[in-house]
Amino acid sequence: MINSDTIAKWRYRLVPDHIIGEILTKEWIDTAIPVLMLLVSVLTFSALLPHFLSWNGVVELLRQMGELTFVTLGMAVVIMAGGIDLSAGSVFALANFTTLGLVNYLQWPLAVALPLVVLICAACGLINGLLVGYLRLRAFLTTLAMLIILRALVDWLLFNWGTVVVANTIESDVWDFLSFGTVLGIPFNYLSALVAAVALHIFLTRMRPGWHIRAVGGSRRSAHNAGIDVRRTVCFTYVLSGVLTGVAGILYAARLDNAGTEAGVGLEVVALTAAVLGGNSLGGGRGSIPKAALGAFIVALFTNSLLRFSLPSGANPLAIGMILLIAVATDVRWLKNRNKLLSRIYVSPTYFAPPPLVSTDPAAGTPYAINNKLQEAEPIGLDQVDGAEDIAFDRDDNLYAGSRHGDIIRFMAPDYKKVEIFAHIGGQPLGLHFDREDSLFACVSGMGLYKITRDRQNIRLSDETNRTLFSIIDDSRMRFADDMDFAPDGRVFFSEATIRYDIFDWATDSIEGRGNGRIICWNPHTNTSRTVLSKRMFPNGICMTGDDVSLFFAETWAGRISRYWFDGPRKGRVECVIPDMPGYPDNIRRASDGNFWVAMLGMRTPALDVAMKMPGFRRRMAQRVAFEEWIYPNINTGGVVKFDIDGKIIESLWDASGEKHPMITSIREHKGYLYLAGVYNNRIGRYKIPGADLEFNDRHLYWGRPQ
Amino acid sequence: MMRGLRDRLDTFWGRGAAAVTVPSMDGALRPNNLLDQAPVPLSIPEPDNLVDCAGEILFSSAGVVFALAGDAAAGRPVPKYQFDQPIACLAAHESGVLAVGVSGEIALRGGARDGKSFKQVGGAPLLCPTALAFDGPDALIVCLGSTANPPQEWKRDLMQRNASGSVWRIDLATGSATRLADGLGYPNGVLLVGRDLRISEAWRHRVLLVKPGAAPAALLEHLPGYPARMTASADGGSWLCVFAPRRQMVEFVLREKAYRERMMREVHPDHWMAPALRSGRSFLEPIQGGAVKHLGISKPWAPTRSYGLVIRLDVSGSPVVSAHSRADGVRHGVTSCLEFGDRLLVASKGGGVIASLELAELDTEL
Repeated sequence: MINSDTIAKWRYRLVPDHIIGEILTKEWIDTAIPVLMLLVSVLTFSALLPHFLSWNGVVELLRQMGELTFVTLGMAVVIMAGGIDLSAGSVFALANFTTLGLVNYLQWPLAVALPLVVLICAACGLINGLLVGYLRLRAFLTTLAMLIILRALVDWLLFNWGTVVVANTIESDVWDFLSFGTVLGIPFNYLSALVAAVALHIFLTRMRPGWHIRAVGGSRRSAHNAGIDVRRTVCFTYVLSGVLTGVAGILYAARLDNAGTEAGVGLEVVALTAAVLGGNSLGGGRGSIPKAALGAFIVALFTNSLLRFSLPSGANPLAIGMILLIAVATDVRWLKNRNKLLSRIYVSPTYFAPPPLVSTDPAAGTPYAINNKLQEAEPIGLDQVDGAEDIAFDRDDNLYAGSRHGDIIRFMAPDYKKVEIFAHIGGQPLGLHFDREDSLFACVSGMGLYKITRDRQNIRLSDETNRTLFSIIDDSRMRFADDMDFAPDGRVFFSEATIRYDIFDWATDSIEGRGNGRIICWNPHTNTSRTVLSKRMFPNGICMTGDDVSLFFAETWAGRISRYWFDGPRKGRVECVIPDMPGYPDNIRRASDGNFWVAMLGMRTPALDVAMKMPGFRRRMAQRVAFEEWIYPNINTGGVVKFDIDGKIIESLWDASGEKHPMITSIREHKGYLYLAGVYNNRIGRYKIPGADLEFNDRHLYWGRPQ
Repeated sequence: MMRGLRDRLDTFWGRGAAAVTVPSMDGALRPNNLLDQAPVPLSIPEPDNLVDCAGEILFSSAGVVFALAGDAAAGRPVPKYQFDQPIACLAAHESGVLAVGVSGEIALRGGARDGKSFKQVGGAPLLCPTALAFDGPDALIVCLGSTANPPQEWKRDLMQRNASGSVWRIDLATGSATRLADGLGYPNGVLLVGRDLRISEAWRHRVLLVKPGAAPAALLEHLPGYPARMTASADGGSWLCVFAPRRQMVEFVLREKAYRERMMREVHPDHWMAPALRSGRSFLEPIQGGAVKHLGISKPWAPTRSYGLVIRLDVSGSPVVSAHSRADGVRHGVTSCLEFGDRLLVASKGGGVIASLELAELDTEL
């Protein structure tokens, strides 16, 4: 058994499964498949073809790629808005012919001729745009009709003037540069395509009209409701496509000087293939310009390389057709299954060996011996609290607690019968502490560290820490600030229980058994936060030890409490003081006798402890068994334990039946009573501690007694 | 080979035989709180196997056979017979003969053969008698749940995925035994309907019909729990007790050999992730995500390892109506019941009570 445990331990230490799930949450994962395809095809072709990767070969390839890239960019923009532009091939041919006609035959200056060509193509796009965008005709059929009409027009033009437009050529350096020029060794036409791609990318991702395009593609109705002019946006994409195709036609004319009928035939299908292959979803709304450029690169690489195999005619269109089929199929299946896959594999358990289970049986004679003392606790706010994770007292002894609705509620001293909403924060407040000025510091789940002043002003102190180097998900934002305490110099040390789950599925983190949490320090002097301890197993309660240089923190799912020195000669050290609690420790608070209280929110169960050593079992469980059925930590029974500075357990208090206080997430001793809170409980409890100091207020330990 | 390959694939994808789906409680099995609402004439630890022995109602608790005093409405039970071991099952004949099954022995009390006992059946020891039924005054039908575990260890038998149960007919005069069926997954109840035999097969969640000279066939399949004993009803139908619910998580554990074996080795049976007659008594028992208390309330629909369920079957053996004790109830682990006039006595072995349910109450659920 030790053997298989060791294997499991190393297997999960060496292969971090959770990274796969985190990668799948990323937008850029859509590009992974085309990039993989590119790598495979480059490797295959370089193995099969001699000189495939020679510099001349690459330059020649790029030169031919420029035009296709332009057309693909236009196609991609139209697709992102939810349309399709099949007229691209004919527009391309028209651009080729008009360029040759204006430049060669009419001998117009290039500065006039070329913009005019672009304008003509834009006008063709505008016709598409008006029909599809404003008259709302079907994009597929409309642009197909335009394809036929424009092709007929080009054929008629070629029939009449096909020979004259190529009869003479002009002498122009600019014209030559368009066709054969290179910049830094890169062919000019591909470079211009790249420049256009960068500009378009900035336009689509950083500018308002660009955002509108993808918004329309994602959902026309939502875009309309959001105030976007859907018709104009759609129309605009076709015009843009026309312009880009026009530029491509000019480059083609300059390069080949050829007025043949084959120009642009089938180009729309090639561009469509390239756009979809790159990962632009045909459904619209998903895609990017780099994806389109990547797709164009792959398709051009394929067609060129296939040409060099000297295959029989028809092989090339066949290959394009096959690639298009594969790309479309991948697109559909990927979109459909990505989230399914993600939800299946996001929970990624790892190996954790829980410490031996200490008995709570009264007969066993351990300090954890179970009793029913907490049954005596009287209720406060019965059926009025919902989500009170922690409690705090102000200088007038009023009691504060959080609520699931994002409020901080206040029970008025001395009888705690009257309740009011003290402040609305918006996220569920967890750990609560008063500072010297009687401002309430709160760890708010999903939001970070907040301060509420006496006059009820909410002030955000920290919601961001330094991002971990090489982390895949952005862990700089705080997801789960849990509990905090003040260092003597005003720094606040607070725990973030997990960076992978939110408050509503916090207990799911227990299934993973990984150190997903961290301890962060907020410095009021610089107003910055930094992570001081990372990879802790659900760090929860934080409590100063009283020596001004160290604190205790509880790691809930590991069942242990450790001491961390943040100052002094032992600065940076962590020492475990209680390694083997039979329950899951939560908040830690000071006791009047100089010791510490710790709440146990639930109890460990042997069946789950066995499962913790078997990550494969838990992973399959997470994938196959419904969430409500998962084996869980037993958070239906909690308790309170008192320990001293060395971690020795002194006594424990229980509600063994779990009737009044099933779970205990926090405690606070105040003036002779121990107050009990549980985030799922329907009350706050008040237990009279026999023989306790009736004047005790834990704030005095921090800020001294008021005069 | 194809079959082996398919099983592997099924295990990988979690489908086919590896699927962990559990039928829902719907239709005739729609949940109610009837068992928890019923009056309780008697609280006693682990009551089991109610039988009508010539007008006297007997049941077992641990090693003692008790008689319910008077009209079963109230009063202290009277001890009748004492055994060294926990009693596993009882059967009575109208002539006043009582058959008592304990692990290793079936003993007869009362009537002409008083004191007679059988320690073997078909040459093998009577390790695990689970249910008995008289077939006339001279023959006894015996369900043997397992060849590996005694009746108290039923949980282990389930977790070992055994199917070593068998059903026998013992001629009380000669002691000779005929095997009626074997290879069963813990036969746990038997009812004679005419010449046909109905057997509840717990680990396969079904009721089998064994006709003389024919192979056993399923009468009722895909139960959402593990069936226990059956008794006849005055209207020609019958009652089926279900002693524990099926759970997706348990079905999953049953398909995870390594975890199961480790759990059996390292964890006390009370704390296994397995069906139980009662649950929630100790915080060492595993709980499931949906069973977490919110605002101090256990949800009745929470996933639970124990449950109380009695199903009324019609003449053909189809469920008609049922009485429940849900996750937030306490009358769990119902192993036997007995119709008594216009009431149904229900032994909740897990809850430690015998409840008395008015039949008219059940009709309101129809």
